[in-house]
Amino acid sequence: MFIELTNITRWFGTQQALIDVTLALPPGRIGLLGPNGAGKSTLMKILLGLLPPSSGSGRVLDHDLASAGVALRRVIGYMPEADALVPGMQGAEYVALAGELYGMARKQALRRAHEVLAYLDLGEARYRKLEEYSTGMKQRLKLAQALVHDPPVLLLDEPTSGMDPAGREAMLDLLLKLGKEHGKSILLSTHLLGDVDKVCDAVVILHQGRILCQGPVQQLCQSRHDRYKLQIQGEPLGFLDDLRLEGVQIIHDNGRGDYRMRVPAGWTTHAFFKLAQVHNVVLRGLQADNEDLEELFHRVIEENRAQI
Amino acid sequence: MPNLLQYRAWQGTFHSEWWSVWPIARVALGTLVSRWLFRIVGVFSLKLFLMFFFGAYLLAWFETQASAPQLGNFADAGRMIRGIRRAMQILNGSQDTFQYFFAYQGAIVVVMLSLVGSLVVGNDFTHKSLVFYLAKPINRWQYLAGKGLAVFVVVQIMTTLPALVLFAQHAFDDWDYLLNIHYFTDTVDGKGPAGILLLFAILGYGTLLSVFLSIILVATASWARRTIPLIMVWLSLFFFMRILANLLVDGLRYDPRWRLIDLWNNLTMLGQGMLGFASDDIQPKFRPELWEASLVLFGVSALCLIYLNLRTRGVEIVR
Repeated sequence: MFIELTNITRWFGTQQALIDVTLALPPGRIGLLGPNGAGKSTLMKILLGLLPPSSGSGRVLDHDLASAGVALRRVIGYMPEADALVPGMQGAEYVALAGELYGMARKQALRRAHEVLAYLDLGEARYRKLEEYSTGMKQRLKLAQALVHDPPVLLLDEPTSGMDPAGREAMLDLLLKLGKEHGKSILLSTHLLGDVDKVCDAVVILHQGRILCQGPVQQLCQSRHDRYKLQIQGEPLGFLDDLRLEGVQIIHDNGRGDYRMRVPAGWTTHAFFKLAQVHNVVLRGLQADNEDLEELFHRVIEENRAQI
Repeated sequence: MPNLLQYRAWQGTFHSEWWSVWPIARVALGTLVSRWLFRIVGVFSLKLFLMFFFGAYLLAWFETQASAPQLGNFADAGRMIRGIRRAMQILNGSQDTFQYFFAYQGAIVVVMLSLVGSLVVGNDFTHKSLVFYLAKPINRWQYLAGKGLAVFVVVQIMTTLPALVLFAQHAFDDWDYLLNIHYFTDTVDGKGPAGILLLFAILGYGTLLSVFLSIILVATASWARRTIPLIMVWLSLFFFMRILANLLVDGLRYDPRWRLIDLWNNLTMLGQGMLGFASDDIQPKFRPELWEASLVLFGVSALCLIYLNLRTRGVEIVR
């Protein structure tokens, strides 16, 4: 198991940052989603062994969180959200320093730093001072220092923060490649749903310190069978009125015959065809409308608010 | 993003986490040395050392002149030479030499550390580099040891190392200085130890200065973070407290223990003790006991370490 947490709670004074967090995640690319202040960074620090939980227990790659701080951090590459740069250093020196801090010999660390920087397309900039790096370059540099010792696990805190669209796409492609082709387990903490959608195959949604939902993205998004996409040809008014009378909710109408609908419980797709025939409308397309990640996220947050 | 190289796995062995102390110290040292303020103060330090170094030769030259026949014609030549010699006694390689040397060099070190010391640790808080270090397989004590080691090395290079050079200079001049611990007491007006005892005293005094200044710099720099606040903190600790202690003890005739608030005085008193000064010769005259000074320095160091322990917890990283 990649991450196993049982009833993890973390207090900061009177503020409870994490509340009974229980997780069981297999190796893979996992997105940690949540709005600002949800407790993502606190959870990351606990997984790194930097912060002890106030209560609860957990393991990351079979390392106990309570006792294996140093050993645990050796198998993890952590990319912080903050710049976390050492002013005055050159890119290659910075990444090599990270390697040395992981325990690599100086020569090996330097050689590996050059390799990783070249891989991340920072080869040209490796002798530049860190203060001269652009935001996108800094993000890649932070990834380089996390990768320098070739860890099996990457914890990435907002890796695309502040990047332009092209840089962001490139970063996400890179992360996907690292996960898919090089077998890295990735925990990607972000509030950008698109990042998770592109890179991750599982998601954990955290809100106000609680885990609201966890599991494979596809499975979570397919878990709703009450919505359909329809494409119709012909005069739709009567057809739509009858659908509404039957309790169907029209969620989206693009004005060109494409509709998204939420159907009541017990609805069968046969009813669409029956009503279409009555109103002389041609059903050109009918398919289950799976919830996308954004909708899943908002639904889960809303449901949580409603419960509170 | 075009890849110039494919990602390559790395296979190798990792050193123990204590190996990471040196890279941390090396980077901190590099940061210090790269500042022009460091170099300027370093030049002053070098100049002071050279004054002591060549002053010893000047003293030796005067001594040879005392017996020179042309000076013998002057009635007061002997008295004149003795007067000069007394004035230059601090250059003869005795406990006085090293007491003055450590006091002057130490003062320069304190000025330098207050000017550039914030870069050693303060930057890690200001630029959030602390998370870069602590997210690696090291614990906070190894991080602090690395930072402290950088300051230790700087203080050693500016005090103990030149003091050892001065010691070697005198040893090369007269091997008896190195071999005979009673070298000075055997002479008419000399005092204090020589030889191996003096060598250990120099190492002890240098280590005391280095360790204490390292701890207090790392603690105050992690609190003050920036240069100006750090200068103000060090001014208070090493200058205003000294004035206050002098005012209380010498001016208002308070108990000499009030001098314990002057940390620099505590350091120099202990240094004099290490250099073998007799109890009556230790300055200042109205002063607390050496053990009391040791206790205060130990207590301040312990408080600094407790503060650093709290300051570098993970909770700081989250905020």
